[in-house]
Amino acid sequence: MTRLTIDGLTKRFGEVTAVDDLSLEIAEGELVSLLGPSGCGKTTTLRSIAGFVQPDAGAILFDGADITALAPERRNIGMVFQNYALFPHMTVRENLRFGLEMRRIGRQEITNRIDNVLDIIQLTGLEDRYPRQLSGGQQQRVALARALVIEPRVLLLDEPLANLDAKLREEMRFFIRSLQKRVGITTVYVTHDQSEAMVISDRIVVMFDGRIRQVGDATQIYSHPVDREVADFIGLSNCIDGRVKSQTDDGRYTVETPLGDIRCRSALTLPVGASATIVVRPESIRLERNQSGDGNVNSILGTVLDRFFLGNMAGYRVVCTDDRVIQVREEPWHASAVGDEVWCVFASDLAWIIRQ
Amino acid sequence: MTVEPERLRLPRALVAREIGHRVIAWLRANSALLLILPTLVFLGCFLVAPYVSMLVMSFRNPSTTSVFAPGYTFANYGRALSDPYYLEVLAETIAFGLVTTAVCAIIGYPVAYHLARTQSRLKGFLYVCVLSPLLVGVVVRCYGWIILLANNGLINNAVKKLGLFPGGLKLMYNAFGVGVGLVHVFLPFMILPILSAIQSIDPALEEAAQSLGASRTRTVLRVVMPLSLPGIQAGAILVFVLTISAYVIPVLLGALKVKIMPTLVVQLLIDAFLWPFGAALAFILAASGAVVVYIFIRVTGHLMKGVV
Repeated sequence: MTRLTIDGLTKRFGEVTAVDDLSLEIAEGELVSLLGPSGCGKTTTLRSIAGFVQPDAGAILFDGADITALAPERRNIGMVFQNYALFPHMTVRENLRFGLEMRRIGRQEITNRIDNVLDIIQLTGLEDRYPRQLSGGQQQRVALARALVIEPRVLLLDEPLANLDAKLREEMRFFIRSLQKRVGITTVYVTHDQSEAMVISDRIVVMFDGRIRQVGDATQIYSHPVDREVADFIGLSNCIDGRVKSQTDDGRYTVETPLGDIRCRSALTLPVGASATIVVRPESIRLERNQSGDGNVNSILGTVLDRFFLGNMAGYRVVCTDDRVIQVREEPWHASAVGDEVWCVFASDLAWIIRQ
Repeated sequence: MTVEPERLRLPRALVAREIGHRVIAWLRANSALLLILPTLVFLGCFLVAPYVSMLVMSFRNPSTTSVFAPGYTFANYGRALSDPYYLEVLAETIAFGLVTTAVCAIIGYPVAYHLARTQSRLKGFLYVCVLSPLLVGVVVRCYGWIILLANNGLINNAVKKLGLFPGGLKLMYNAFGVGVGLVHVFLPFMILPILSAIQSIDPALEEAAQSLGASRTRTVLRVVMPLSLPGIQAGAILVFVLTISAYVIPVLLGALKVKIMPTLVVQLLIDAFLWPFGAALAFILAASGAVVVYIFIRVTGHLMKGVV
């Protein structure tokens, strides 16, 4: 297993800085997702690790050894491309054999490894088909197998599920995850789909404008986003701007906002009077008839603007006293109707101060 | 009696109108045919008709006093196919075509690959460079080569001055000179189909090959080359067919010392005035070329099984 280090990686394309001084350490056997909107530099980072992009500055290290100057074919990486990039003129077996032949592995060993990997990806019996005779999901699995059969040091996946339909995408997430765990290979996974990243990764790296904005596991990124962009990118969020009024001994802050004082938590240390943005997730909010009496629970008064049924929950849009709309996700059987006056109630633990 | 013509005129007008309606209806239904009608007429007059007339000519009885004698015969074909001289010229023509095609492919492929993958701002200029042999007329182009290749041409003078080959090099009036001239002008016909074939190959396939451990050379040999076979096939057929039927360049750079079929046929037709025999030779050449192309398509088609 290989430890992957990215040290100060920078890549410019003309005027545009695609990746800007990015440093990241990926542990042995860890699966890290690079998550961000298109153009955030996640693919460029991946391609730098693969060796298809030569960085302007910085280094890529495998187990501490600098491989930045190494040609892609000498890096011993396994890569899965968005469109799979299976060789159309080769059968499944020939596709799988390609990398092994390049490594001058013995014939018997090649056969053993291919049979083994066919078994793992459950495609035994289809080895003499051409890629175009396979379904999208099967092609995807062949691409995975082709990358893994060479027993690479690092596995790189570039939006591997983007071309599959929704149902198959869900399945393949778990398939890739369990396969990665079984093989125990250090993996970098590029995606713009936040739920995909949350399901599949040990850690998520959220990228914007060529820089890392936040690194953490799914829970951390979702519950404690560092700023508004991250909060907006990972799921739905309500952001409320205000000014710090006081800090209590238990580490909670009271923030003065147009909707009244809100008690919340923070990873940042803020002085009294500093401006702050509070983020509250829609599913953290309950709609109640009465204001909460608990000092650690916030209540905001509003009127139900919209109600929509989402199957597993009920969506609400509540308009507040300052005309701001708050998104709420309630239980599917929740009964508040359009026009009702309601209190949006949420615990101070579920309100989070982010950088502005 | 004055009524009579009136009576006749009426039904005639009706019939004419009826026919007019039918024609218009037919044209409406087959309006696409109308579009290719000019082409069909043109090809019929200037391509099919001459070929048919040549084909008929090749079965005519020869005559010493006129173009042909009355009656038909297979003797022209018999004579061509039984005379080792003509068979040898035919074989040399085919061999010459194959060599020229191979040379074009070997020179053209790297150019096509580079052009297909380059990000250079000079891409447009490079395209023009590839097409440049076609931008100069055949005679001018040949005289250019003569200046270079002649016995006291630029290359030979330079070589002699440097004392490398005191006797000079034989660069013209042989197969080499003709080959140079043909490769030069037919190279674009090889490069362009290969170029478009390579452009349609997903660059990710090359990256995939590299990620699996293939060097640049192996990537090209194992992935790009097999996938661009349709382009190679098209280019090779074009160059081969053009080469075995080339006339002007072999005459100017070979000066009839290189015996190939087209020059021989023209000699027979114009100089010896043996129209039926010349026509038969022309058809033997065309048929042989078609057979070679057919075999080539079958072989390459087998190689392209997974590609198309």
